[in-house]
Amino acid sequence: MRALAEPNRRRILELVAGAERSAGEIAAEFDVTRPAVSQHLGVLREAGLVEERREGTRRLYRARPEGFVPLRAFLERFWDDGLERLRLAAELEEGRRRSGSSSG
Amino acid sequence: MAVRQDEAVEREVRIAARPETVFEFLVDPEKQILWMGRRAELDARPGGIYRVEINDQSTARGEFVEVDPPSRVLMTFGWEGQEAAEGAHGIPPGSSRVEMTLEPDGDGTLVRLRHYGLPEQAREMHGQGWELYLGRLAVAATGGDAGPEPNLSAG
Repeated sequence: MRALAEPNRRRILELVAGAERSAGEIAAEFDVTRPAVSQHLGVLREAGLVEERREGTRRLYRARPEGFVPLRAFLERFWDDGLERLRLAAELEEGRRRSGSSSG
Repeated sequence: MAVRQDEAVEREVRIAARPETVFEFLVDPEKQILWMGRRAELDARPGGIYRVEINDQSTARGEFVEVDPPSRVLMTFGWEGQEAAEGAHGIPPGSSRVEMTLEPDGDGTLVRLRHYGLPEQAREMHGQGWELYLGRLAVAATGGDAGPEPNLSAG
């Protein structure tokens, strides 16, 4: 089972992105069992996307902004990585052609 | 607190290869996947499809707008699955533009990339980064190796 195909996990993130919420409040928003919500929260915590705080017997959750990449930063990295690969691939091809055509 | 919409992502790289060589990597599907994506469908003419499957979670999709060998390619760009832009953080296919210009530089090429026209909402935090992190979660959750970086092509 892939987490991306797991829309509840995404919804949990959206839910706790704006405000801190208790596990109970989160579970109330979904048509899944409380243990299932706890499991999602566990995975999200492990990935550093959500943080947990205890208040008495309640556990409160909220998204960690630093766990996310701003879109702009993501695109910069995405294209930098792409262009670097483009450079390597094109230079390899160019070298192949030059050595191929220089013999004669 | 709106961010200026016309703010583009701009990158450049110098490549020790002629523009003619570099250009092929932008329009030939077999060459495309040597640098980005694991599968590509490219019909490099105005209105032709641009579709690059990056990994299980992400497929870039758009249309070629202008194709000017060997110096320029302009295409629309977005991510499949974000058509509805649920949560309003996505980049739907066709919603932004990527322009790549190839300029001779000595015996090499200066490649400039400009990604612009991003949806206003997509400028906020999550967007694709979010998706990709979730993609990593998917792998991690199944006990696989999520790899060192949250994404990119499987080389």
